[in-house]
Parts: sequence; C-alpha cells; structure tokens
Amino acid sequence: MTLVAGVDIGSTTAKCVLIENGKILGKSLAPVGVELVKDAERSLEQALAETGRGRGEVAVVTGTGYGRFKVTFGQYTVTEIGCHAKGAHFLFPATRVVLDIGGQDTKAIKINEKGEVVDFAMNDKCAAGTGRFLDVCAGALGLDVSEIGSLSLGARHPVKVTNTCTVFAESEVSSYVSRGKEAKDILAGLNASVVSRSLSLMQRVGIEPEVTFTGGVSRNEGVVRTLGYRLKLPVNVSPLSQYVGAIGAALHGLERKEATAT
Amino acid sequence: MITCGLDLGSGTTKGVLLEDGQRILASAFAPTRGAPVERGRQILELMAEEANILPGDVEYLCTTGAARYAFLDRNLQVSDITASGRGAVFLAPGTRHVVDIGSQSSRAMSVSETGRVIRFKMNEKCAAGAGRFVDRCAKYLQVPLEEMAPKALASAQPKIISSVCAVLAETEIINNVAEEVPLPDILMGVFLSLAQRAYILMRYVGIQPEVALVGGLVKSEAMVRALERTGKISISAHPMGQHAAAIGAAMLGYSRVQKLSSRPGRLPAA
Repeated sequence: MTLVAGVDIGSTTAKCVLIENGKILGKSLAPVGVELVKDAERSLEQALAETGRGRGEVAVVTGTGYGRFKVTFGQYTVTEIGCHAKGAHFLFPATRVVLDIGGQDTKAIKINEKGEVVDFAMNDKCAAGTGRFLDVCAGALGLDVSEIGSLSLGARHPVKVTNTCTVFAESEVSSYVSRGKEAKDILAGLNASVVSRSLSLMQRVGIEPEVTFTGGVSRNEGVVRTLGYRLKLPVNVSPLSQYVGAIGAALHGLERKEATAT
Repeated sequence: MITCGLDLGSGTTKGVLLEDGQRILASAFAPTRGAPVERGRQILELMAEEANILPGDVEYLCTTGAARYAFLDRNLQVSDITASGRGAVFLAPGTRHVVDIGSQSSRAMSVSETGRVIRFKMNEKCAAGAGRFVDRCAKYLQVPLEEMAPKALASAQPKIISSVCAVLAETEIINNVAEEVPLPDILMGVFLSLAQRAYILMRYVGIQPEVALVGGLVKSEAMVRALERTGKISISAHPMGQHAAAIGAAMLGYSRVQKLSSRPGRLPAA
C-alpha cells in the first residue's frame, strides 16, 4: 500500500498522477508559467486535493519531462523517454511503439514486452511536427490549438502544407486563407504534416503493433485518425494520454523505492 | 541602353535601372506584402520617374528572386544566386565570397572576379538563419525593426541562443526577458544566431577574402559585426548591398542583349 506520485513538467503543461496499488487515484493538469518549481508543487497539491490524501502520505515523488529538475521536492528524476515507455505499457501492455508528441518535441520509442526502452528517435531541435507547430499555425487562423481536432474532422479537401518550417508554414496558412480555403481543410493539412513528420521518426525505430500515441497532441482527433490511416494500424489512445509520462514516472519511482527496500 | 533588374523577393521587392550595364540610373525598394507583380510594376514606375524616363524606355527587363516567374512582362529571368554574385562584385570588385541573407532564405557563394558563381550553398527550408527571424524577434520584443541593430551594438555580453529553430528560439528569448537579461544582449544574441547559421553555409562553400554581405541586413552594423565575430573575418557591406541581386539581374540582362545582337540573323527580344 504505497502511494506514489509522478510529476511531468513539460514545455507547455505540468501533469501529476497519484498511484496506489496499481490504480490511478488522482491527477492534475495545468499550463506551466515561468516559475516551474511552483508549477510542480501546485500540480502535486491539486492531484492530492482530488483524492483527499495528505502530502505526508505520499511515499515517493518522481519528476520527469523537460522540467524534471524543477521537481525539487521529489526523490527521483527519470527521463521522459523511460516514463512514456513505462506509462504506455501500463495502459496498453501490448504496446511496442510509443509516439509521444508534446508541446515542443516529438519522440518515437520502441519498447519490449516489459515496457523497457529498446530504441528511440527524437526531434527536439525544430518545432516542425510538434504541438508548437499546430499551436502557431492555429494562431494564424485565429483558433486555439484545442479546436483543431474536432474542426479538422469535417475536412473535405485537405490542403497540402508544403513548408516544413513552422514559420514558413504559418505564412502558407495565411496565404491559403486569402485564397479562400476553409479552416477545416487547412487544419487537416496541418495535421497531415505533423503525421508525416512523426512517421519518419517512427520508421527510424521500426513500426510494429501495437502503437500507442501519447502527449498533448494525442488529444487531437484529426491527428489520431490520420496517423491510423497512414499506418494502416489501429492506434491506442487512452483518455489519460496526456498523463502517460506522469504515470510512468510514478511507476518508476515505486520500482526504485522497492528495489532499495529489499 | 537602359536595362532593368527587378528582384522580386518574398520580403521586399528591389529594382535597379542600369545604363549600358555599368551606371546605376535609379534604384527603389518596397515591402512585397504578398503582391510581387504589383510591387514590381510600382517599383519600375518609381525608378522611371527618378531617372526621368518612361517605363517603356527600358529596353530589356530581367527578373530574379522568389517570384521572378510570376512577373510576365519580363525579357529574361535569372536565379537569385547568379544575380546576387554578379551584383556583389559590381558593388565591391574585390569580392570573392558573397553571403546573401534574405527574408526567407540565405545563401553563400564563392565568385570569380567577373562575379560568376563557382560554388554555392543555400538554405530555404528553415526560417532559422533567414532575415524573417529578425522581423519576428522585433515584433515580440516590441522593438522597431530599424532599432534592432543599433540597440544590439550596446551589448556587453551577448546572450547566445541555444535553439536552432526560429520558433523554439522565441520561447528561449522570452525566458531570457523574464530572467531580466539586458535587451542589447538579447538582441546581439539574435544577430549572432543568424551569423552562426550563415557561417555554416559559408564554410561549406569555402571562405576566401574579400567577403561581402548582401541582402536586406547590409545596413545593420550589428549583423556585420556578428558575422565578423563568428567567422573571425572582415566583411564588407556596401550601402546598396540590398540591391545586389537587382543590379546583377540588370547586368545579366544587358549582357544578354549584347550577346544576342552580336549574333547575325537574331534580334534581341522586345
């Protein structure tokens, strides 16, 4: 009966998950600001508030994500790659490839039947193919990134976004708008661009079922469908897909705690 | 004989009227604002007025730049690399290496003493290293574009930007602002970041003195300093460097006419 917490400080949002006996008891999600240490503390407190448990009852806190070193009150830090692998395995045990598209980077992770990392490929150098790409381009349409998924599903004639670079794609979006293209068709084109970037990362680690899609962009239904269509494979997306890193962190922490106890 | 060079760039449109392939009669530039053909026509009219001629007096018109094919009233089109090399040597005859930073693309080339391009490398896929990056920084740092370079020169300890991507650099710069890094240091960091990207292209081509900077950033001393510091070389920046490609296009137009008229039985195209 050990209550463990995983705190995932991403470039855009902070996520926290509380796990006890293999069950998720509480969770929280909030945008991050400049003071990451405070954001990390708040995310743990919000998750605890949902469960009614006290801070003192949490046996281990593990940090992950781009801001994992800001989880100063935690005992362990684990890379987001290890955490996404473990978290995806927890939710979908048959997962062999994890695609994580976050706010500022994209990773394809190959894992084994135990949820251990075998190989990975990552893009953290360029905003193309990340949540940031969708965010910037949706901005050019005056839309919020959260609206892209549902609107894009109505597309009839998706445009082709030819520029890879986010900055140039943003201008391309504006030129499509001035040529009278509909927002839904432009959004579908943007989703397709993200998917094709992801596919090349996934091909680098080798595509094999089952594929589990995690991270903020997995909430975009348009990207999920296009990905499935291009892969010709079903894609696992949990309602908790944004929390996968935090779940993995909590589980890693528990393992480490148990290993040191014996 | 008057020839015209029009450089229809993605950011600005530049034009030059040249007499006998040697003397600049007029020059003009204006932001393209997504209408290159219209802008090209306006520039031609402006220059004709300045030179006190009629647009019809231009005997040969050569276009270059991203929208060079869109301008149908042309006699010839040449690539921006060819034109820019020619123009850079016209402006500074000792030039053997040209670095051209445009709004959406940047290129480095080594050139012969006549301005013929020997080798080049271009980046048109990524906004990092393109002039657009400076425009974007000006916008979100709320510094007028023309003040970016003068302000940057006051920097004592430039804040180097670690992100290569122009979009990810934005976040980094905003974090620097939040951490109260002095504005001149942030601005100089922007120019150094641009210089680092340009330097990769330059090194690929092979750097030989003299090195000339052309394109929209010639008037920004901070850009020249950043390139000099990055490459440990001296860089010349002619005040008309923004018009290098337009000059080159007008020169190439002139030499085409000479070539055509020297051949028996073939008349230059109208």
